Amino acid sequence: MELVFALVIGALTSSGVYLILRARTFPVVVGLTLLSYGVNLFLFSSGRLATGQQPIIGTAASYADPLPQALVLTAIVIGFAMTAFVVVLSLRNLADNEDDHVDGKQPYKSPAPEEEEEVTGK
Amino acid sequence: MNHWLTAPVLIPLLGGILQAFMGYAPISLRRTLALATTFLMLVSAIVLLIMANDGSYRIYAFGNWQPPFGIVLVLDRLAALMLVMTAVLALFCHVFSIGGADEGNRQFHGLFLFQLMGLNIAFLTGDLFNLFVAFEVLLIASYGLLMHGGGTVRTVPGLHYVVLNLIGSAVFLISVGMIYSVTGTLNMADLAVKVPQISGEGLSIVKAGGMMLLVVFGLKAAILPLCFWLPRAYSKATAPVAALFAVMTKVGIYAILRVYLLIFGDDAGKLANLGMDWLFPIALATLAMGVIGALGSGTLKTLVAWQVIISVGTLLAPIALGSEAGLSAALFYLLSTTWTVGGLFLVSELVANQRGSAKDRIITAPKMQSRTFLSVLFLVGAVAAAGLPPLSGFFGKVLILQSAEAGTEMAWLWSVLLTGSFLTVIAYSRAGSIVFWRTVDGHLNKPDPLNGRVSVAAGALTALAIAMVVLAGPIMAYTDATAAQLHNADAYIEILQTPMVGEDS
Amino acid sequence: MSLPLVVLLPFLGAVAAPLFAQGGRTAIAVASSVPALIALAALFPHWETLADGGVVLHSYEWLPAMGLSFSFRLDGLSLLFALLILIIGLLIILYARYYLKAYENVGKFYALLLCFKGSMLGIVLSSNLLLMMIFWELTSLTSFLLISFWTHKQDARRGARMALAVTGGGGLALLAGILIIGNIVGSFELDDVLAAGDQIKAHAMYPVALTLVLLGAFTKSAQFPFHFWLPHAMQAPTPVSAYLHSATMVKAGIFLMARLYPALAGTEQWFYMVSFTGMATLLIGAYVAMFKHDLKGLLAHSTVSHLGLITLLFGMGTQLAAVAAVFHVINHAIFKASLFMAAGIIDHETGTRDMRRINGLWRYMPHTATLAMVAASSMAGVPLLNGFLSKEMFFAESLELNLPGLIAWLPPIVATLAGIFAVAYSARFIHDVFFNGKPVDLPIYPPHEPPRYMKIPVEILVFACIMVGLFPAVAVGPLLFLAASATLGGEVPEYTLAIFHGFNLPLFMSFVAFFGGLLMYSQRQRFFDFHARFREIDEKAVFENIVLRIVDLANSVTARLENGSLQRYALLLLVSVIAVAAMPLLDLGIFVGENGLSPVDAPTAIAAAVLILCAFATAGLHRQRFYALVLLSVVGLVVALAFARFSAPDLAMTQLSVEVVTIVLLMLAIYYMHPWTPVETPLKRRVRDIAIAGVAGIGMTLVTLAMLTQPFSSISEFFLANSKPGGGGTNVVNVILVDFRGFDTLGEITVLAIAALGIYAMLKDTALTPPPSDGAGHAWARDAHPLMLSLIARPMLPLALMVSAFIFLRGHNLPGGGFIAGLITSIALILQYIASGMEWTEDRIRLRYHNVIGLGLLFATVAGLGSFAFGYPFLTSTFDYITWPVVGKFEVASALIFDLGVYLAVIGATLLSLVTVGRLSPHSAIRPKQEGA
Repeated sequence: MELVFALVIGALTSSGVYLILRARTFPVVVGLTLLSYGVNLFLFSSGRLATGQQPIIGTAASYADPLPQALVLTAIVIGFAMTAFVVVLSLRNLADNEDDHVDGKQPYKSPAPEEEEEVTGK
Repeated sequence: MNHWLTAPVLIPLLGGILQAFMGYAPISLRRTLALATTFLMLVSAIVLLIMANDGSYRIYAFGNWQPPFGIVLVLDRLAALMLVMTAVLALFCHVFSIGGADEGNRQFHGLFLFQLMGLNIAFLTGDLFNLFVAFEVLLIASYGLLMHGGGTVRTVPGLHYVVLNLIGSAVFLISVGMIYSVTGTLNMADLAVKVPQISGEGLSIVKAGGMMLLVVFGLKAAILPLCFWLPRAYSKATAPVAALFAVMTKVGIYAILRVYLLIFGDDAGKLANLGMDWLFPIALATLAMGVIGALGSGTLKTLVAWQVIISVGTLLAPIALGSEAGLSAALFYLLSTTWTVGGLFLVSELVANQRGSAKDRIITAPKMQSRTFLSVLFLVGAVAAAGLPPLSGFFGKVLILQSAEAGTEMAWLWSVLLTGSFLTVIAYSRAGSIVFWRTVDGHLNKPDPLNGRVSVAAGALTALAIAMVVLAGPIMAYTDATAAQLHNADAYIEILQTPMVGEDS
Repeated sequence: MSLPLVVLLPFLGAVAAPLFAQGGRTAIAVASSVPALIALAALFPHWETLADGGVVLHSYEWLPAMGLSFSFRLDGLSLLFALLILIIGLLIILYARYYLKAYENVGKFYALLLCFKGSMLGIVLSSNLLLMMIFWELTSLTSFLLISFWTHKQDARRGARMALAVTGGGGLALLAGILIIGNIVGSFELDDVLAAGDQIKAHAMYPVALTLVLLGAFTKSAQFPFHFWLPHAMQAPTPVSAYLHSATMVKAGIFLMARLYPALAGTEQWFYMVSFTGMATLLIGAYVAMFKHDLKGLLAHSTVSHLGLITLLFGMGTQLAAVAAVFHVINHAIFKASLFMAAGIIDHETGTRDMRRINGLWRYMPHTATLAMVAASSMAGVPLLNGFLSKEMFFAESLELNLPGLIAWLPPIVATLAGIFAVAYSARFIHDVFFNGKPVDLPIYPPHEPPRYMKIPVEILVFACIMVGLFPAVAVGPLLFLAASATLGGEVPEYTLAIFHGFNLPLFMSFVAFFGGLLMYSQRQRFFDFHARFREIDEKAVFENIVLRIVDLANSVTARLENGSLQRYALLLLVSVIAVAAMPLLDLGIFVGENGLSPVDAPTAIAAAVLILCAFATAGLHRQRFYALVLLSVVGLVVALAFARFSAPDLAMTQLSVEVVTIVLLMLAIYYMHPWTPVETPLKRRVRDIAIAGVAGIGMTLVTLAMLTQPFSSISEFFLANSKPGGGGTNVVNVILVDFRGFDTLGEITVLAIAALGIYAMLKDTALTPPPSDGAGHAWARDAHPLMLSLIARPMLPLALMVSAFIFLRGHNLPGGGFIAGLITSIALILQYIASGMEWTEDRIRLRYHNVIGLGLLFATVAGLGSFAFGYPFLTSTFDYITWPVVGKFEVASALIFDLGVYLAVIGATLLSLVTVGRLSPHSAIRPKQEGA
């Protein structure tokens, strides 16, 4: 069980990280969301995995660690706020630069030659 | 339990809520209330400073829950110092902003106050996860503020700032998870108790967590190689916002001080002084990078933005060396540089407004309005920032130089710091003489003259560099005491024994 | 008290002086001379004390932590310099009154001049080295402003910046040196330092300290190779040059050497560094001076040469040499100041300083000519004038050096050679300017004598030249003695201030110098031709070039590193995280703790497989944005399932509802975006990114594995134990949220609120046009709000509201609570917007979401504040039980009000954000309402 859970977190993290390194706002936003899923699961699991022990007094013999759950709940909501903001920001970027490249348009291009491919291309 | 501790949090919170309701209220009313809020916050910060100066720790347990179970605010000298520093800076930025910068967006004052709330929580909280929440509050507010002022120039730097900080927040959560998964607690004092007892594989996990946390704080503090987002973000932000952001990097430094002196301090057993050996070379590199950036900047605001990075390096070097004297010196310099940089941002804005299309670019332009006043302000700011006598920056730097123990570190610190100052002097003298002196005949369509608020705000903030010299004695006494208090983690841990209301101790 | 007064008065004067600017130049000049007069009066009474070999010390604590005290010290040496600064300062003020034009900014000029004077006095009177350091750099700053007084002149600006760079930079070196000395001695007080000479010289750091201190002195006193800034500082108004480059600024370095003479001098290193620097400077300055056509240029280089002479004398290390050095300081100050003033007069009256044009002025201004000629002769070292005396001493000392072998001849030869040059350029100054034919097209013709009072300062100084020259013992004897004894730290050697010491080698050297010089001048054309072969380099241009180079370099470095590419920055951040975490995690390796692995059941395995697959697929297919979004939502759902599976029902519900809202938001977003992402990063970069992502993933997997299999105990026992008795709720997670850690929650809803307000502010005046068709090229559906949907949606609203009310109320005991309830309500409302459009919905739901948000935050805060009334801390909750119809026995916790705040805040924030985004498109059926806020 633990291994499966660990693999899940690993998968979420790596796909998130990969997308964050893309050059367009949309994949970056998706990547951040995936990463936050991974992080939430990780933070949640820092209280260890428990089956059928929901921390509601009187419903079980022993209870899962409720604190990480509370933390994750906070994290989810904050994460939602942040996602919403960054989505809107990328829309604003789209509106301002008629383009959804993370570095905006031409004047923002890097002068350093080896960066060209990283930023060019519409 | 002393309710004063909540004042720096609740005052801006209530003020912010008020602003949210007042969308349609006349601007004058909103300004008055917002400014009053900031002023009250300053008052409360000063009250706390006076309290903290007795050297004891005061805690405030939310919900009356005994730490480590509930969230506590902890007031000590460091926290009080940060609160006052922020409140003073904020007040002047706020006064400047009602000179016109706050127009065009009714959310400005609300965001501004919420930003302050987040900062104050970060300075007061004694709980690791609550520190995360505080960071999120001040970040989301700063995102909003950064975008304030319309136009398209801020969008891309803003996007970079937001995305990087979101990654940072994710890393923060991972570290919290790692640390909790081993120690089973979030209260900083409790962590300070638990961390030394860790053994076996737990060590590796907490160590990894601690190091990742350092990166997160490093991102906030803008150390190399995590500082490149800063210059464009700050130089593009509206002046009062940029000036207020002068304190944002200091939050990262505060967090480093708090966490790495308390939880991973000298008494942390196998994890003692975690990461500090990395920090010193990085700090010097950051300082050097800042100087290079400052030399290369094409506008005054960019120059000041790089100055922020210079001061971060200057601050972290003695902190990394870890001596008490160094810490005290750093705190003195912290105060000086934060206000000076804030003032310089405001001055650059005024200059930009007076120079027509040339803005604050370091190029020849027609003679600006009210040149004498502005050039004097710039001179004072530049002298303080470059660390030349007789202003506060010089004292900070001398203290830092003196704090270094003889040895290789000292050689490095001295040569980098002094060479840095030398090059900074060149950068400022060049920028200043071009912007203020190298004028061409030409017509400027007359800019509206400086109004009282902005002049007073910019002038007063810059003049703090002089005030600090006059008050250097008491200030140093305070920073010395603060450094001593920080180096004595045991006293902090005793807050866990504080009795709750209704308990008899 | 009098000494601090002497130093601070000029600064006060600087503040006051500009106020007199209105009253005209005379008024301000008079006002500016007051501080100096008071200062002289204040110093006078101390003469007695000094004459009896005492020192005056006025000391006040300032920053003991730093070793910095506000202490001043008057002894012979500082008295001598103070007098030079004050008296010549007075003459300068009078002179400047006539030199400056009425339209010039005299207020600024006198203010700066006084600031500079104060700083100089500070240097010579400070008894604390750090305090002296402060004044030292202040002179760099004020001289920067004085030299660039005519800011419109490019040469002035550049010269000033060069002076600041060189002297300010040297100042930083000096600072380092002083700090080292302070470390060695353990004090910065002059008395301690001077007493600890042997200790300092014995210390291992002595060579470093000495080098740094000398760097400071040499840069300030324009010693080779730092001499180049001084001639370019001549762009300053002549009164400034006359002051800074005769008596004060450049003498500061000399003063420093004299001041620290007992502490630092007397070693091999001192001898070689100082004397050879001095020799080089002496020779180079004198040589170059001959070829300057600019009157002030000639004087500037001669100053450089004389400073070299003094430095050389200090370097020799013999006591008599030191006496000679101090003596020459006096003499040089006197004749050089008068010469500068004379040059200024000539410039003033002829409009040029070019010696090829100003000739034969004797006919036009005989009075000035006479004065200038006397001063120049003194500079040349003509007998019966003060210059002669110290030069004679210098020649004598140059013979006394016991150097090995032929090198022994070097100093005297250099001295004589420099003497020859000196005579030559002095001769040129006299002959070229006042005789040598007629003036060549002067800008001002005919020139005539300057205003009467402009000459008075020159007359006074020239008179002093003669007096000192004729009756040295009377004129300067006592002062010189005091200064010398102070320099040497007590013991003063036998010396006689006589005009004639009999026929000896020094006298012979003087003769050689004198006639050699005249001969050289008569043959000057040859030397000019010879000199003309070498290209003259303009140090100013060189300096500017270097600065520009540095700036360009810095620029390109910055551009390469700070290249504005988010991908770069994100990469740096992620790599740093991986790098720091790698070390400890490698120690960890693949680790399974003692709890071991628990068995996997099929459904979980399948769900996990789905999740992993979808995650990777999202990454793989991210170019087709719509599919990516669908896959993302699947991932989100499975995550919710995972929470449910591992006994976190609240999380499951929250995740689910947040998921819905997020996906709706993203759907709205891609409606405006391009439906696909173009391929633009090359393969190698994608491979690199995959590698990094892989490492990150593996790292997380290993940590999680190790973490999950470790035994564990946490503070949560407390929560489980106290949730019911203390918090009055059985749903521990909810109790933690609204009670144990209610402050987190308050922060979190604040974040939501701020985000919504920020979003609103950001999009307020933004408009976006969606692409005309979706990815596959189909146009968007015509009817904005499909009938079926709206038919279903409308009745769902009250239903949803009831559900959320239920969820909300039971939240404290069973899964649910403010968040989830709020999100459900929001979803229901959003559905209305989607189904029936903005206008329809807003006509029926008259909510201003800003107020909803505000209300939410207010409820939460007030609920917390309530406990103040009962003397309990913020957010302390209390509860009681009542029986409700449907819900049954139910306990009302004050935390419920808090949770209500959460509920409202969530609704307000969610809807404000989504509605704002929905309004974006000007083409959609929704007209953005003209509401600000």
